[in-house]
Amino acid sequence: MLVLSRQRDESIMIGDNIVVTIVDIRGDKVRLGINAPAEVPVHRQEVYEAIQRENLRAARLEPGDTADIGRFANRGSGRPDDAPR
Amino acid sequence: MRINTSRFGRIDVDAGDIIRFPSGLPGLEDCREWALLADSTNDALGWLQCVTRGDVALAVVSPRRFVPDYQVRIPRSELTPLAINDIRQAQVVVVVGTTGTDLTLNLKAPIVINLEARTGRQVIASGELSLQYELTSNRQPLRKSA
Repeated sequence: MLVLSRQRDESIMIGDNIVVTIVDIRGDKVRLGINAPAEVPVHRQEVYEAIQRENLRAARLEPGDTADIGRFANRGSGRPDDAPR
Repeated sequence: MRINTSRFGRIDVDAGDIIRFPSGLPGLEDCREWALLADSTNDALGWLQCVTRGDVALAVVSPRRFVPDYQVRIPRSELTPLAINDIRQAQVVVVVGTTGTDLTLNLKAPIVINLEARTGRQVIASGELSLQYELTSNRQPLRKSA
């Protein structure tokens, strides 16, 4: 792993269009600013990994598992106006 | 196009009905082409079937139908790749999961589909939302009203 030392308000560049800036440092917390093209997803790693795990678990569902999901559904399109009162 | 699926047998999908996910989905990064199928018995349910892997499909529902007070807030940067300016232009579905005993909805990472351009993306919504929102018959509102 490449390790670089940076101070507040300093940045690093990844490729030619991603800039990561140290915005603030307080105690053991660092605030980062990230400028990246819209097509480059930026996520907190633990959130992304949790979604990966959840998708892989969900991909094991079979039609038989979801057979009674209808009993949790509201009638109508789901817009608040159509919700049962 | 004919796909052999593990769940639905052999199905025909029109090339024009294929939805492209340029980055795949987290955990399923190689699955970039999907078809949205209606469930044969349940009109509240759909299946996103991967076109290139017949064994991969995700059960999806319209979240408002199950969680009436679900309000999805998605950072604009997450929608830009889909060429959507306004979330109302998009179809939003959430993935159905399971705890082993109960069905769950992934409210934190809805799937946004631009139906016109037939592109999609799983995004991360802002705020405190569950990846495993359990479906039960007696559900309290997400937010208690004042």
